[in-house]
Amino acid sequence: MIFHIAKKEFLNNLVSARFVIGFLLCLVLIPFSILINVDDYRDQMVRYRLDLDAAEKSLKEIRVYSALRPQIIFAPEPLGIFGKGISAQVGNKVRTRLGEMPLLAEGVAATRDNPFLASFFSIDFVEIVAIIFALLALLFSFDALTGEKENGTLRLQIANTVSRSRILAGKIAGILLTLLPILVFCFLLGSFVIMLSGDLSFTGREWGRLAALALAALVYLAVFVFIGLLVSSRTKTSVTSLVLCLFLWVLLVFIVPNLSSYFAESFVGIQSRDNLDRVLNDFDKATLERIAAVEKSLPRPDWQMSWYSNSAEDGYRELYGLSASYFEWFRLRTEAAEPMRLDNADKKWGPQRAYLDSLDRQARAADLLAMTSPAGIFRIVASALCGTDRATYQARMDDVRRYRETFVRYLQGKNIFASYAYITPTPPSAFRAADQLIEARSGGKFKNMREYDDWAGKQADFRARFQILNTVKLPNDSPDGFPTLNADDMPRFSGRAVSVFGALEGSILRLGLILFESLALFALACVAFIRYDVR
Amino acid sequence: MFKTVLKREILHNLYSLRFMLSLVLVLAVFVAHSLSFVRSHASAMEKYRETRGLAVKAMQNDASQSATRLAVTPRYFDLRPRDNAFIADAKERFLPNALRYSAWNVFGFQNKSGSSNPFLPRYDELNWMFIAALIISFVTFLFTFDAVSGEKESRTLAQALSNSVSRGTLLFGKYVSAILSVLLILVPGALVSLLIVLLAGSVSWSAGLAGETAAYLAVAGLLTAVMAAFGLLCSVIARNSNVSLLLALSAWILFAVVIPNSSAFIAKNLYPIEKAESVQKRVNVAFEDLNKGAPPGSWMMNSGNPFLPQHELRADLQRKRLAAEKAIRDDYYRVMFRQFEKTRQLISISPVAAFGFLVDAAVGGGYQRFRKAWDDIHVYQTQFQEYFTALDAKDPKSPHWLNPNEDVSTTRLAADFETVPQFTEQPMSLSGRLKPALLYLIILVVMGCLVFFASFILFVRYDVR
Repeated sequence: MIFHIAKKEFLNNLVSARFVIGFLLCLVLIPFSILINVDDYRDQMVRYRLDLDAAEKSLKEIRVYSALRPQIIFAPEPLGIFGKGISAQVGNKVRTRLGEMPLLAEGVAATRDNPFLASFFSIDFVEIVAIIFALLALLFSFDALTGEKENGTLRLQIANTVSRSRILAGKIAGILLTLLPILVFCFLLGSFVIMLSGDLSFTGREWGRLAALALAALVYLAVFVFIGLLVSSRTKTSVTSLVLCLFLWVLLVFIVPNLSSYFAESFVGIQSRDNLDRVLNDFDKATLERIAAVEKSLPRPDWQMSWYSNSAEDGYRELYGLSASYFEWFRLRTEAAEPMRLDNADKKWGPQRAYLDSLDRQARAADLLAMTSPAGIFRIVASALCGTDRATYQARMDDVRRYRETFVRYLQGKNIFASYAYITPTPPSAFRAADQLIEARSGGKFKNMREYDDWAGKQADFRARFQILNTVKLPNDSPDGFPTLNADDMPRFSGRAVSVFGALEGSILRLGLILFESLALFALACVAFIRYDVR
Repeated sequence: MFKTVLKREILHNLYSLRFMLSLVLVLAVFVAHSLSFVRSHASAMEKYRETRGLAVKAMQNDASQSATRLAVTPRYFDLRPRDNAFIADAKERFLPNALRYSAWNVFGFQNKSGSSNPFLPRYDELNWMFIAALIISFVTFLFTFDAVSGEKESRTLAQALSNSVSRGTLLFGKYVSAILSVLLILVPGALVSLLIVLLAGSVSWSAGLAGETAAYLAVAGLLTAVMAAFGLLCSVIARNSNVSLLLALSAWILFAVVIPNSSAFIAKNLYPIEKAESVQKRVNVAFEDLNKGAPPGSWMMNSGNPFLPQHELRADLQRKRLAAEKAIRDDYYRVMFRQFEKTRQLISISPVAAFGFLVDAAVGGGYQRFRKAWDDIHVYQTQFQEYFTALDAKDPKSPHWLNPNEDVSTTRLAADFETVPQFTEQPMSLSGRLKPALLYLIILVVMGCLVFFASFILFVRYDVR
């Protein structure tokens, strides 16, 4: 009997205008949303490859270990085409630094090229599914009971030897049967667009996650069908039922998710980033002071002249043509300073983590509030499945931090901070004392430092003091001729791929909740229908 | 006769379930928004004051050390959180909100995301603009989608037309009554919200705020009129109310969801611009060229001796580098502005999007506000530069080799902070707001008239049986 009712519902729906319009709406919006994001994904891939090449190239062009700071670039997530999640606002580049733990990735996609475009929102497949499927589910179920009651056919049905629960089950089956082809069609259409764009290739894992997304969408759809049925079984006329359903749609799909983020932002504060930066700055200052104290305690070199030097952030220093004792001075300084900077990074991690925790707390509050709506739950589950949610990003950043530890251990294993190779490619055997350097560079004009100083003190033109030392060019005075550093033994960062179960792990509870919601709604609809006045 | 129709329609609307539901929903969202705004505005202001205080302190500190240091240090000017942001935040959270400048240059802008959380999914703030753009436009459709087709189904349309009432009057009556009914929902909501915000002391009452509130209500009324015209059109196109509902919902999804959310795609594909990396490359090339052409010794530096002759060479080089970079970057900024503006113009084919831009202009926020601050800070920068060069000229101990990046070859005297020109952001003038608003206003009015006219034509030909 259920089958007959389901078949009748299905056929009824199939010829209705809502089926045609719903179908057309999907036919237009789904490929559109996919195409927009395929375009975006391609753009990201181009950038990713450029960034990756640049990172690799910069690793190959260095000559000293202090310049060895691998840059990690996250590959764009292919399933981001379906659900962007927070991927556009969290960045994809992290530079491994000794003086600081990675906090958040750089290179936020939303603000590249034209930061004004960050104020434009963009839509994705998940969003379209959340909006359209909820609407279709409600449109097909709002008059399931009231409509038949108004036509007078409900009475006739109940007059037969068929129980109310069977009628309800038949109706649900009929509606789901109508919606299922649309849902399947949407996912097939999405997959088809992906397969047609030749440069995109999904792995089995990704197809698996997409299938899981389809399942989640089915459950989501069912929840709204049950909501529609519940409303229909509690109202007397179709118009009332429709109005109620539409309000529920706007409330659950648009208002609650927005309100939850808005409330979370207003009522669950986060720590100020400016403040964090100031605190970190203070830590850095204190460390610099400690390093300066070390510098003062070191024996003075015979000639404080950096013939050729380059320095930049995070301890990078590249030196050429220094006197042996000045090289030694730098070596001793680095040997003391780098562990201090590592220690500083550990200390800074406390406030950094507190800041991250506050961000996480606020986002969790928003999630919790959003879970009052099935659309909110669906979005959270969907972005987890697409690998563009907060948890995936945080896990990746944890991996990056662990990688930094590995990298630091690699450097420490080589005892590299105590080595000259950290600051210069010049072999120590080629180092010379100041007197020798001056004699060689001046072409024998001065025998030692004192002679040069006496002469230089009498020169009015500042430049002449240096020009004389350029008389003879020494081979080790510049990077030219030195080979680049071979760091092939350096450990590499490897990100982990998101598996179906891995993605679902964090969402099990939420999926359970949405399932529970649908069961509860179903039960309520049953009870309401049993008590329904069919006259 | 029009009065009778209007009265009947309004009463019909007022007694309907949708009116009650809309009223409750809109009021609830307005109240939730106001409470949330009171809280978030207070914390935003606190953060702003702290940052601003520190910035002023840093300036004072630099000024006390030397006027040159004050002039060459790049600093940020943060835009203040707007008091009337409860009407429309104009997406200011996502737009650039800090300008970087020194006495020598306005370098650029950025979005200081210090107060926003990258882990939160992006969302539209629930302000008055959002309420009108999303909820009110939806409610308007609900009031109008079955205005004609619904009456036809209940067979009252034929009866109504059998009276001595023209079809035009009937349709116009329905149209006006729908607008008035929606306004009866919106206005109390907005007033309650305003009351909460005022009572909480977040903002103070002023003529400006009264004007902005009135402008918001007028513009929201206009949006209602356009959406009501679309709703009526859906109602007269279809023969039964189910179809007109589906049409109306599709139109709403298109206007309120799809078009506004396609803007990033439209911008990138219809108005593509050069990539930031390639601009940086051009800057680097310009720098290299200048470095190559610079006389030897230009990079020689000795901060202990301001009169070192090489300082003059370097000051020259640094000025040229600044000018070269500024030319490239300013050009790129203009391209960015154009891309953004053109995209906004295109997506105003959605009345909801056009309404949003109109409200942004009415409250003097968002992009227009940024542009004004951007233009103003350029004027200020010239004054700041003039102030500094005059100060430097008075110092006999300065070599007067103006170097925009270094504190070496210009005056080392401290500057009296009281006399240093300060940049303050001026609120947008009425004409400054009206000018950008005009286009969107015209779009909405024309669209409303055209669509209503179309529904009138269709209604005249409508088979009421």
